[in-house]
Amino acid sequence: MDESNEKKKRSRRDFLKKGLLAGAGVVAGGSLIAAYVDKSEKESGEKVRALTTDGQIIEVDKAVIKTPRVSIKESHEGIPGRKFVMVIDLAKCKNARKCVEACQKGHHLPKSQEFMKVYLLQDSDKSAPYWFPKPCFHCDNPLCVSVCPVGATYKRSDGIVLIDNDRCIGCKFCMTGCPYSTRVFAWKHYNEFDEDKEPYSPEAGSPGKEGTVSKCDFCPDLVRIGKLPYCAQNCPMGVIYFGDIDEDTVTNGTETYRFSELIRDRAGYRYLEVLGTRPTVYYLPPVERQFPVDRGFNDLDENVKNRYKNTPYVKSHKK
Amino acid sequence: MENKPTREKLLREFAPQIERISASSVLWILFLLGVIGIGVYAFVTQVTEGHEVTGMRDNVVWGIYIVNFIFFMGMSYAGAIISGALHLFRTEWRKPIIRMAEYLAIISLLIGPGYILLCIGRLDRLPFLAVYGRIQSPITWDVIAISTDIFGCLIFLYLSMLRDIANLRDFSELKLPKWRKKLYSALALGYTGTPEQEKRLKRATDIMAAMVIAIAIIVYSVLAWIFSVTLQPGWHSTIFGPYFVIAAVYSGTGVLIITMFVFRKIYRLEEYITRKHFVAMGVLMVVLAALFGYFTFSDYLTKWYGSEKNDENLIKILFSQYYWPFIFSNYIGVLVPLLVIGIPKLRTINNILISAIIVVIALWLNRYLIVVPTLESPYLPIQDSRPAWAYYNPTWVEYALTAAGVALFCLLFTLGSKFVPVMNVSEMSEIPKSKGPFTEEESLV
Amino acid sequence: MKDLQKIVLIILLLALVVGQKTVTGQEKKDTVSEITPDLKLGYLNTSNDSITLTADIFVKRETGNFALQNAEVEFTASADKENKSLGKAKADVAGTAVLKLYVKSGLPVDKEGKTTFTVSFAGKDKYLAASGNVAFKKAKILVTFTKEDTIRTIHVKAVQVEANNEQKPIKGETVNVYVPRMLSNLKIGEVKLDDNGTGTVEYPGALVGDSLGNIAVIAMIEESDLYGTVKGQSTISWGIPKQYYLAEKPSTRELWTPIAPIWMIITLIIMLTGVWGHYIYAVVQLIMIKRQSKQKKDYF
Ligand code: SF4
Ligand code: SF4
Repeated sequence: MDESNEKKKRSRRDFLKKGLLAGAGVVAGGSLIAAYVDKSEKESGEKVRALTTDGQIIEVDKAVIKTPRVSIKESHEGIPGRKFVMVIDLAKCKNARKCVEACQKGHHLPKSQEFMKVYLLQDSDKSAPYWFPKPCFHCDNPLCVSVCPVGATYKRSDGIVLIDNDRCIGCKFCMTGCPYSTRVFAWKHYNEFDEDKEPYSPEAGSPGKEGTVSKCDFCPDLVRIGKLPYCAQNCPMGVIYFGDIDEDTVTNGTETYRFSELIRDRAGYRYLEVLGTRPTVYYLPPVERQFPVDRGFNDLDENVKNRYKNTPYVKSHKK
Repeated sequence: MENKPTREKLLREFAPQIERISASSVLWILFLLGVIGIGVYAFVTQVTEGHEVTGMRDNVVWGIYIVNFIFFMGMSYAGAIISGALHLFRTEWRKPIIRMAEYLAIISLLIGPGYILLCIGRLDRLPFLAVYGRIQSPITWDVIAISTDIFGCLIFLYLSMLRDIANLRDFSELKLPKWRKKLYSALALGYTGTPEQEKRLKRATDIMAAMVIAIAIIVYSVLAWIFSVTLQPGWHSTIFGPYFVIAAVYSGTGVLIITMFVFRKIYRLEEYITRKHFVAMGVLMVVLAALFGYFTFSDYLTKWYGSEKNDENLIKILFSQYYWPFIFSNYIGVLVPLLVIGIPKLRTINNILISAIIVVIALWLNRYLIVVPTLESPYLPIQDSRPAWAYYNPTWVEYALTAAGVALFCLLFTLGSKFVPVMNVSEMSEIPKSKGPFTEEESLV
Repeated sequence: MKDLQKIVLIILLLALVVGQKTVTGQEKKDTVSEITPDLKLGYLNTSNDSITLTADIFVKRETGNFALQNAEVEFTASADKENKSLGKAKADVAGTAVLKLYVKSGLPVDKEGKTTFTVSFAGKDKYLAASGNVAFKKAKILVTFTKEDTIRTIHVKAVQVEANNEQKPIKGETVNVYVPRMLSNLKIGEVKLDDNGTGTVEYPGALVGDSLGNIAVIAMIEESDLYGTVKGQSTISWGIPKQYYLAEKPSTRELWTPIAPIWMIITLIIMLTGVWGHYIYAVVQLIMIKRQSKQKKDYF
């Protein structure tokens, strides 16, 4: 009895999840010849708010396609039956910064706000330097969420930690709570915020609001319709893998791996495990690299290059 | 009714304080209002132009606003603890200074929280703290604790002023406009000093004194926990609660000494506030200096001894970039009072005043050194080409608002002293005539 | 209040500025020379008599590729001289127009059994007409399972449909075997078809299915010149039931949950009632003092 109940409950959840995705997949409209059209798959995504269009052809940047947004209330809940995970392969990163750029474009951020930051790290004098892209770790024990006085930052059932910019009072406590310097503050109203004409949704993390905190959001609006986050989509090296940890699968768009095998074979680890925040972002160590570290300095803006001039690696090179 | 002459005499003596406003005090008040005006302008700038006008950025998200917040709250708790403790222990020499301690408690408590509001990006959403409040957040603890504290301090202050207000109401020689007399008589609650009333008042005051001490300790620990519950190197420390409490009382004692000195000069209270009072407060300060030094030492010793990477880094910064502030706040700020008051020959009023000033500055710097360098050395090294992102530099807005806070503090103190004498007349009049306001026989603490 | 006014003002101003920009931008675009969009046609045969045609329409500009949202395209099927319109569809936000066909029979085929699918964009405003086409033969893939002792096997069988509707095995093609995942397909094996058009691959085990342990297996011939992309799919209960990670119960220690731990609430309530109780007591004393004042009046 109990078991069959449990089964029912589970399959209902599966159905919810499948319905959602199937619905999101079919967004095409228009007139179709009835006889040929497969009606069985016509459940359109009711959960997904449709874009308003007046029939004009609109050009949208293919690198940062906008997606329909769910309401604020729904975005507090999470995608049913999912638990997301990211794997970043440090061996392939050459600081191309495409992740940063696509993310900024997709979230309508000014240049001064980066959800994804690329660090040049070197753990000690003799150890090897490496490029270290750092999104939000969407910790399973997120201190940022614990300390928020108004519940403006919250962890959803799918593991994603989001910020509700309509609720955040801007106390910045979460910024000191996060040990990974992940969060950014809108110190004023940036013009880029106005580019986004859609209604605000925490899932999209856009448009930003002055006096509130924001950060990397794992792009749940994209994931909801089966797309990878901006950074994973746009990395030319395929450094960033993303997927559902319960499904044990991650993908960077071209390759798909079993998460457990990837972590086992490449000795994946989490950054600063010792802090007990239990990140859901894993790193693959920078072994057998495809590029020398110095390649990362090519084609950088002057002010981006300057960021690294005080790192031990660059300093030791100058000598 | 043998105290009657004393009370009359005292009232007559203090009456000019509250009756007249001298030209110089008008100037003084205008000056303070000017400074506050600049602060208001700075505040308007910050609201209209965004927090970008401050020196705070994504790494150093809290700057001198939070330092001021800790500082003023610390003074408030010090005032509360000192006045509460002096009251409970029935220390005789407290009488001339207890009103100042109470004023200190309530005035800085009104200013302190203002600074945390300056840190908040969306002031229009403050009600959310109540609407969506989460009990797990130390900020919520702080909101609850501070509001509880404000009520407690107000009640306590009122209780201890009640008899003086009644005195002023009944003091017929007072030359004051009608409305003020009416105000006194309304506030006096018809207190006439019947044994029954006296008993009730005493009971209530005792209870509130105890409450105020307890709350002050809790509230200041909560404030310390805002820092120590995070994982930031330099903040994540178990002794922050008691450390902050001690530091608070320490700095508050310093401020109280300065206040005593100032009022003594302005209102010519040399007869009542004597060197003995300064020495008594000085001794209190020495005890606190020792405790403060001890906490500081054990905090940094444990960090330095193990030299965990981030702690080591922090200490390196403190001893290089922040060398002088660090030396001043943690060495000079501890050693000067120890020497000045420890050596009996040096215990002059002026010397005690100077060490009090040093203590106050040192403690402000101490808070700065707790807040800012930690934020400048997070776990992931700051890699940023924008200097403001890497190093904190307060802007004129922040300085203006800091000055405005100090000015407001002085202003409220001035106005307070114009409302009810800065000395507790009724308590002082209880001193047996033979003994005088302060007697040699009494122990110092 | 000031803040609000100022924000409104800024937004208005910005709206003005941005608005002007887009206006001038449009003017500029109008004078800009016309442009031919790229039109890519994708073809997916899902074996159950269903074909999905996906048209991707976009323009190439210096700053990257731009999808043409809302562009209307028409799909047609043709063979030899026969021509049949299949329908029209509008490009979605990503510039993709999708048409799903259910085709038991009736598609025009040439003598090799191939159908040519064409997608065309008639052109609108400054966007010129464009088209793209593919020609494929109908095929089917069948996935079945067997289990012997502990060895579980996936069997794949592929057939092609000739012009006369006769089914013949596909020989020598490579078929990839996947399990579908949320964002992509996870490859679990590869089959080289034998002369009967069949092949097998061992089921690798330790794969997570849905919460009941059901798992879908897909076999695909991908982008073949002759058949296009053909997909066969079957479901079996060999998966490990999916465990919902923290859907409902986070561990009790953690503080990030919406509700505070019970001990914290109790402590807070005790402390607050304790403190405020004393406050009330003190205030009551004040009230009593006031009351008593009426009884006796001379103090001095
Ligand atoms: S990385 Fe920082 S911001 Fe992200 S979930 Fe963890 S603690 Fe929060
Ligand atoms: S800044 Fe916003 S999200 Fe962060 S703790 Fe404060 S209210 Fe919460």
